[in-house]
Order: sequence, then structure tokens, then C-alpha cells
Amino acid sequence: MPELVATGSLLVVLLGGVFAGPRNEALVSGLAALGTLAAFAAAAGMLAAGFSGTFFGGGYAVDGFALYFKLIITATAFFTVIAASRWAGRTGDAPEYMTLVIAVALGGMLLVSMRDLFGVFLAVELATIPSYAMVAFDRRRRESAEGGMKYLITGVIASSFLLYGIVLIYGVSGSANLSRVAEAFGESLSPVAIVGLVLMLSGFAFKVSAAPFHFWTPDAYQGAPTSAAAFLSVAPKAAIFAVLLRILLDGMPQAAPTWTALMAVIAIVTMFVGNLLALRQSNVRRMLAYSSVAHSGYILAAFAALQGEAVPAGVQAVMIYSAAYAVMNLGAFLTIDLVGEEAKSFNGLFATRPALAVAMAVFMAALVGIPPLSGFFGKAWVIYAGVGSGSVLVYAAVASLVVNSVLSVPYYFGIIRNMFQEEPVSEGGPGKGDGGVAFTVYAMAVLTTLFFLGVGPLAALASGSGLL
Amino acid sequence: MITTATIFIPLLGAILVLLLRGDERLVRYAALGVAAVPLLLALYIYLAFGDNLDAPALSQELVWIESLNIGYRVGLDGIGFGMFFLSALLALIAVVASWDIRENLGFYFALLFLAEVGMLGVFASRDLVLFYVFFEITLIPMYLMVGMWGDENRRAAAIKFFIYTFLGSTAMLAGFLALGVLSGTFSIPELGEEAGGLSRAAQIAIAVPVLFGLLIKVPAVPLHGWLLDVYVSSPISTNVVLSGVLPKLGTFGILKIAIPLLPEGVEPFLPYLAVLGVVNVIYGAFVAFLQPDLKALVAYSSIGTLGFILLGAASVNAVGYNGAVFQQVAHGLYSALLFLLVGIIAARTGTRRISELGGLAARMPWAGGLLALGALAAMGLPGLAVFVSEFMSIMGGYTAYPVQGVLAALGIILSAMYMLYMLARVIFGPLREPAYERVGDAGAVEMAAVVPLAALLLVLGFFPALLISVQRPAVEAVLAAIGGS
Repeated sequence: MPELVATGSLLVVLLGGVFAGPRNEALVSGLAALGTLAAFAAAAGMLAAGFSGTFFGGGYAVDGFALYFKLIITATAFFTVIAASRWAGRTGDAPEYMTLVIAVALGGMLLVSMRDLFGVFLAVELATIPSYAMVAFDRRRRESAEGGMKYLITGVIASSFLLYGIVLIYGVSGSANLSRVAEAFGESLSPVAIVGLVLMLSGFAFKVSAAPFHFWTPDAYQGAPTSAAAFLSVAPKAAIFAVLLRILLDGMPQAAPTWTALMAVIAIVTMFVGNLLALRQSNVRRMLAYSSVAHSGYILAAFAALQGEAVPAGVQAVMIYSAAYAVMNLGAFLTIDLVGEEAKSFNGLFATRPALAVAMAVFMAALVGIPPLSGFFGKAWVIYAGVGSGSVLVYAAVASLVVNSVLSVPYYFGIIRNMFQEEPVSEGGPGKGDGGVAFTVYAMAVLTTLFFLGVGPLAALASGSGLL
Repeated sequence: MITTATIFIPLLGAILVLLLRGDERLVRYAALGVAAVPLLLALYIYLAFGDNLDAPALSQELVWIESLNIGYRVGLDGIGFGMFFLSALLALIAVVASWDIRENLGFYFALLFLAEVGMLGVFASRDLVLFYVFFEITLIPMYLMVGMWGDENRRAAAIKFFIYTFLGSTAMLAGFLALGVLSGTFSIPELGEEAGGLSRAAQIAIAVPVLFGLLIKVPAVPLHGWLLDVYVSSPISTNVVLSGVLPKLGTFGILKIAIPLLPEGVEPFLPYLAVLGVVNVIYGAFVAFLQPDLKALVAYSSIGTLGFILLGAASVNAVGYNGAVFQQVAHGLYSALLFLLVGIIAARTGTRRISELGGLAARMPWAGGLLALGALAAMGLPGLAVFVSEFMSIMGGYTAYPVQGVLAALGIILSAMYMLYMLARVIFGPLREPAYERVGDAGAVEMAAVVPLAALLLVLGFFPALLISVQRPAVEAVLAAIGGS
């Protein structure tokens, strides 16, 4: 069980921090890396063996679907640990930081398996409470504490929305187990159930920074240590999208007309808000934060397509988009760590560090959705699901995805222009980054580029997953 | 295998030139060597297979995304082969024409080769998604080639180019995905066999975004807003591929995908496509006439002659369709030739303003003579390749749409007017500037780039059967499948 491995490594890292003392930061980071890698291997092994089963009276499912997301989460956790090791070691807080990373990952891993609404809530909290601390982790920067604070407050509000919605749904259906919820959600929805659904979706919308609940995103990501921003923009979000899929498809299939319509509207608004605000940023970190809002919108468009014959395609779209987004966004965020967060600091990067500039160009092009880079497959799958759905509202969402992809070109390509077409700002240019971050950036660049080789197996995996 | 090898050898070349950093001479010769390989392979394919380009040896199929029936499917046929060959040729010529680029030479060649992968790939794709992937692979290299090595307006031009074509191609992708989803396959031959299997309404709904995307790429007036800035700002060697190959990604899509796979969906738009073709011809000619800049003049003349492809395609009869396919190659030859010569003249005289040039024929007989040849080609003079294809396009177009056909023929007269006017101003008459006394003729390297193009214009002008024999079976197959004449 990958969760057990992760829990074990959580304890080991925690204890390692206590006993090893401040001199052995590297050891702790190494342990954390090994732990996440072991959890990844465990999940991969179970997936390869075709493991599938439910536990705790059907409240916890370990199936292909869950294992797929556990792979994404553990892999991003592994690379985050690698990228953060030197930085965390320098500040002398490596054990704490690594513990937080693993805790968030553990929360996410539990989350994707939950088939019980209260379990969902607990897992969401397990994934997000450490993430508040991760955002506020950098004590030496004021924005970090500020971002953490803002994140915490909005996060708590979101959690209460979520909990309130869950309670209402529980009240209607008399059970928090998704199978029972599905039985209780008959053909007609009671007003209470609708309120519960809307509240719950609002809570989730906060967590994935969907409009109009996105406003915490730029401050949190700007304040957070870069590796934290990178990790948090990818792993917990993937987990939440996954559990949302499970809740909606398993728990309330009859209510699909309601929530797909809701999702289509949220998706369209989120795309436009994210992209229009990203266009105005001169700070790359904020730009990427708004871009992550936009990408949430694209993924939500796939949720809107979860109707009729398009359901399998919609699920595949969410699964493939999550993987595609993880590699490109992790890489893009971490590049900031090496270069700087002002758009100007990317000026002339190609002249000073050509390989890094090319890697960043790969991420930017992937985020735009240029094939054969990873982001293309995410977007293509959403379009594919959308055109198969047969709903006018979803067509509108697909059309705005197309429009928004074009809208996003100027800001992503602004970075490429700065890197390739401007003169370097200062002689020197950006210094040599530390090995871990650079390694992760290049690894992500390679994965982003070669994503097309894996997309076939990934799609096969997605269509064979437990949800379908 | 041989098709795949031809497509991906430039990719290896891109890596090679990046690894060979430092020694500029070595990079140049390596690039030259690499660029020659796809051309030789294409030549071999032509000689070995002749009009049997559908041969199984030339196609390959690998599973890519099994659940959606998307595959790596490549193969050649007569509709794509001309451009396949021309892409390889123009990439080699672009390498030669980059002889004077100093800055970041290795990276420039790497981008050029990457773009070549995309171009070769498009013309050999037999899968809609693969077609789209190759279609888009050209974007970033082109963006960077214009944006890094172009003139002072390059940044705005590059991003404009990118946004326009990306908008079009994303819409096109949505259409492709809808087509694939509804038909259960993305294989172009399979889709072609059951051409029109979808309902008419569905086909029309799909044809709209697909045609929109392809027409932006052509570019068809009024979707041509990106073109002038990009053409004028580009370095000359980028122009060679930009004008020679890139628009044909759009026209090829129309000839090979939109019309054959969505016959009923495209049908209601065909008359308008013919109108668009005529508008291109006439608008291009008029606006070219008004350009003070020699390069802009060539750019607009290029828009004009692309119109004949649209007209020929819209005719959906054997003569017109063959003309359209042939015109793709003919247009590539003459526009690349003219851009190269503009570059040579501008490098010698330091200006591209037509009013500042004059009497160059006396000082540079070779370049001037070839410029005259290119201009005559653009007018569609008999004996040159463009004549054959424009004549066929007009014939085919006239059969289907008499009014449009006549108007397009009128366009030829207009193009003759502005081209002769241009020639009179640039190479004839007295020397405008005393400084031009010292201007020398095109050098050996420059001649190496332009002479093959001029030669091919003549060869295909006198022996059009060299190409038409290859493309005719494929065109007939398309027309038979969709029930055209």
C-alpha cells in the first residue's frame, strides 16, 4: 500500500529530523526522496498487478483510477523533494519542510481513494493544512507569511463550505457513502440537495482556484517558496479533481444535468478570468498563478462534458490533463527558482544559459498547447470529450477553451520573447542554480517533450480505470 | 520506413548542429550535408516509385493512442509528394541562403531542421492528429526564426504570425477531433474511403472550423493580416520556407483533408472558396502594385497566386484539382526564387525601395535576368511552371464557375502589369545611383541557391508531365471517392 509507505516515510523523516540533528539535512532529504520514490513504486506495482478493491465498508477504494492519481502525486512529491533539498537544507529546516511535502502527498493519496464524504473532508484537510504551512514556510520573506495567511483564511472558509455541503448531502441521503448517496439522489433533486451540491462544489472550487474563488491563488503562490508553489499548484489539485470526479460520477450520476451545467459555467468564467488577469502580470510567478487558474478552467470544461457518451472521454481528459499539467507546470515554476520572478529577469536567458531557456520555452509552449508537448494532449482530450458530449453549453466551453488558448499566447510567449529576443539585463546573468532544481527542471522538460510517447498507454490506463 | 526516415533525418540534423557548437564552418557544412539527405531520399522515392507513390513500401503505421484509433500513419501520394519534395529542396536552399547569418548559426539551423520535420511530416501524414501535430511543429521554429533573426519589427511580426495561425489551427483541431470521434477513426485513408459517411449537417459543422484554420494558413484574403509583417521582417532564408512551403500546409489541407473527407460539408462553401480565390488573385495584384517595398511586392504577389490554388480546388474537377496541386509546387518555386533575389539585390544596394532602384541589369546581369525570369513566372508566362498550373486552375475553375474563371484570368493581366512595372523600375532604365556602379553580380553561393529554382521552373514548365503523371492517380482517386467529375 503506497499510503502505508508514505506514512512510514513521513515518520522516518520526522524522526530523522529529531534525531539526526541539524547537520544531517542531506540525509533527511535523501530519506524523504526515497520514501516518496518507494510510495511511487508501491503504487506502480499495484497498478501493474491490476489491483482493485474496496475497504472500510466501501468507503475507501483502491482501483486503477486512484492508483493513477497516486502515481502523479508521489512523482510530483519526489521531484519537489529533490528540487527543494538544497534550499531546505540551507535554511536548516529540511526535516520540517520534507515532512510537510510528504503529508500533503499523503493527504492527496488518501483523497483520491475516498468513497465517503466525511473521509473526503478529512483527507482534504490533511492535504491542505500542511500546505498552508508550506506557503508560509519561508520565514525570511514577508510575502511568505502574508501569502500563507491569506491562503489559510480562504482555505478555512472553503473547508467550511465543503463541510456544510457534505452535511446537507448527508442529511438528504442519510449516508456519506457514495453508493448510498447515489441511491438517495433520485430522479428529482430536493432543494436541500441542490444547496448541498452547490456548497460542496464551491468548496472544491476554492481548492482548485476556480473563479470566482480564485483570488487567493496569486498571493499564495507568490509568497510561497518556489518548490511549494510548484508542488501545490499540481499535486493537491490533481487529487481534488480526482475525488471530485469520483463524487460526481459515483455519488450523484442522476444529478449530472445540474452539475455539468454548473461546471460548464464555472469553467468558462475561470478560463477567461485566469487568462485575462495573467495577461496583465509582469511577475512571472503571479502570471503562472493566474495561468493555473486558467488551466483549472480547462480541466473543469472536461467535467462539463461528463454526460452521455462522452463520460469515458471526460474522465480520460481529466486524468491525462492532470499528468500533462504536472510535468509542465512543475518545470515552469521551478525555472523561476533558477532565474528570478520578474519577467525582465528572463531577458536574454538564451544567451547566458541556452539549455535552461530552451527548457522554459518547452514549458511555455506546452502550456499554450503546442503539439507534441504534453499540454497539447490535455487540451485535445478536453476538446475531444467536449465535441462528443452533444451539449450546447459544453460546445460553448470548448469554444472558449479554443479562444482562451489563443488569449494565453501573448503572456506565455512574452517569456519566450524575453529569453530569445531581448538582450541580457545585466552582464553575469542568472547564476548557476543548485543541482536539484536544475535536475528537476530538465527532467520535466524531457517528460514534457516526450509525453507523446506515453500518451497511448496513459489513455489505455485511464480507460481501464475503476471509475469507468 | 523510407518516408519516416526522410521526415526525421532533419531532427537528427538539428541535434547534430547543436552539438557542433563553436566552429561555424563545420556547422555550415554539417547543415548542408544533413539538408541534402532528405532531398536525395525524396528524389530516390520519385525515381523508384514514379506514379506508384501509394506503394506499401512508402507507408507505415504504428499504434499511438489505441483507445481513440489514433496512429502514427505516414505515407505518400501524388497530392503530397510535390510539396514533400519541394520542402526538402527549399530546406537545403534555405541552408545555402543562410550563408551570411553569423549570430547563433547552429541554433538557426536547428530551428530550420525542426521546421522541416513538421513540413515533411504534414505532407506525408495519414492521420488527422498526426497531421495536426506536424502542422503545429512548424510554428515555434518559425516564430523564433522570425523573432530572433528578423529586422527591427520582428517581435511584433512574429507574435502576430503565431497568434493568427494558432487561432486557426486550434479551431481546425476541434474540427478534426469531432470528425474522428464521430467516425471512430483518425486514419485519413479510412476516412476517405467512407467519404461523406457523416450526415450533411455534421459535415458542415466540422467543415467550418477546419476551413477557417486552413484558410488562415494559406492565407486567404481577408484572413491574411499576419502575412505582410512576417514576410517583410523575416531573414531571407526564412522567407524561402515561409513563402515556399508554409502556405501549402493550408492548401494541402484543403486538397487532401477538407474536400476529400468532408465532401458534403465543404460543398456549399465551394463557390465561395472560388470567390475567395479570385479575390486573392485580384486583391493581391492590386496591392502588390502599390507597394513601395520590393519584398512587400513579392509578398502580395504571392498572396495573389495562391488564389489560383483555391480556385482550382473549388472546381473539384480533374483539370482544376490537378492545377491546384501543381500550383502549390510552382508557387513555391517562384516565390522562393523572387525572395532570394530580393535579398541579393537588397544586400548589394542597401535598399529594397523600388523607387530607389534602377538600371541594375547592367551591373548584375545574372541576378537581374533571374529576377526577370521569376517575374515572368509570376505572371504565368508559357514555358514556366506557373503557366501550366494557373492555366489548368483557370480552365477547371471556368468549367465549374464561369464568372470566377474569367475574373481569375483577368488577374493574370493585372499581375503582368505590376510585374512588368516592377522590372522596368528595378533592373531596366538608367542606373539610379552612381554608387550602384560598383555593385557586383550574385556570387557563387547565391547562384547555388537560386539556379536550381529557376531551372525547375523551366523544367516543369516544359515537362509538366514529370509532376502531373505522379499526382494524377491520387487526384483521380479523390475525385472518384467524392463523386466529382
